[in-house]
Amino acid sequence: MSEMSKIVRTISNSLFPFIMIYGLYVIMHGHLTPGGGFQGGAVVASGCALMLVAYSSGWVFKKVKESDLSVLESIGAIGFISLAFLGIGVTFFYNFLVGSNLLFGEIPPAGPNTGNLNTAGLLPLMNLSVGLKVIAGLFAIVAVMAFVASRGMRKK
Amino acid sequence: MKNARNLIAATALAICAVFLIFSSIMMHPFGKPSDSSMDDYIISNAQNETGANNAVTSVVFDYRGFDTLAEATVLFTAVAGVIMLFRREKHE
Amino acid sequence: MIEMILHAALPILIVVTAIIAVLFKDLVSATIALAAMSLLLSLEFYILQAPDVAIAEAGVGACLTTAILIISIKATKRMEDE
Repeated sequence: MSEMSKIVRTISNSLFPFIMIYGLYVIMHGHLTPGGGFQGGAVVASGCALMLVAYSSGWVFKKVKESDLSVLESIGAIGFISLAFLGIGVTFFYNFLVGSNLLFGEIPPAGPNTGNLNTAGLLPLMNLSVGLKVIAGLFAIVAVMAFVASRGMRKK
Repeated sequence: MKNARNLIAATALAICAVFLIFSSIMMHPFGKPSDSSMDDYIISNAQNETGANNAVTSVVFDYRGFDTLAEATVLFTAVAGVIMLFRREKHE
Repeated sequence: MIEMILHAALPILIVVTAIIAVLFKDLVSATIALAAMSLLLSLEFYILQAPDVAIAEAGVGACLTTAILIISIKATKRMEDE
């Protein structure tokens, strides 16, 4: 696929940071507001797919290689499983950070409250790893399919 | 041959319609599950036990973490399959 | 009141867009109808008070699935055979 017109590219350029910030907000605030790793990852991958269709797939593969995307996805998966294994002293998936005074270790007051980002123990870290995995995985699918489609059309 | 196929399709459709009509008549009222003890436990204790304000995330990542692990495995397998199918060859 | 109207109108619109997506012979038009169905479905999830599922449906169903289907149509052919 070739580049689209200058109008589409300009609008995509100015829209891309807002989509990225919204998706990263959904990932990072997954334990306070609706959303989480999968939802925010899907939003960020949608923004990357917007850049992919506005510019060409060759332009995208000059910036990010598909092996990098595979590595990022594997880092997310390994991070998720090792975070689950860290609590193996009690059970698998034990949330050992809650109540300690370490990172994300506070407990919010019961009932409706203004959210505090520094709560919920392992959940934000798991949200981050799942979000990384979903971003890399979904964008790798779209980018590889677009690249193969453009290459097949050039051969004809 | 065509008549038999039509007959089978009509029978399957009729059975599906009967089940759909019965289930829509006997459906629970919205928001009132038949057994709500697990829901009540999670709603009253999730904020204290996991420290997250969002009870849905605390169910997805803490109480039912194995489901999320399986979902991540499904996504990983799908991405591995697509990249294996559409991978760039080294010799080009 | 407006919630009652939405609860009545949205499922009908979802079914109508799904039937339109099946009936189109032009596959790009069918994909656009499918994206409209996904967007209406995410609105339905939102008024049923499931915002998590609504965000996931809007991101995956209305954007990424449409992109993948359009890319596939561009690599193959556009019109459906009779």
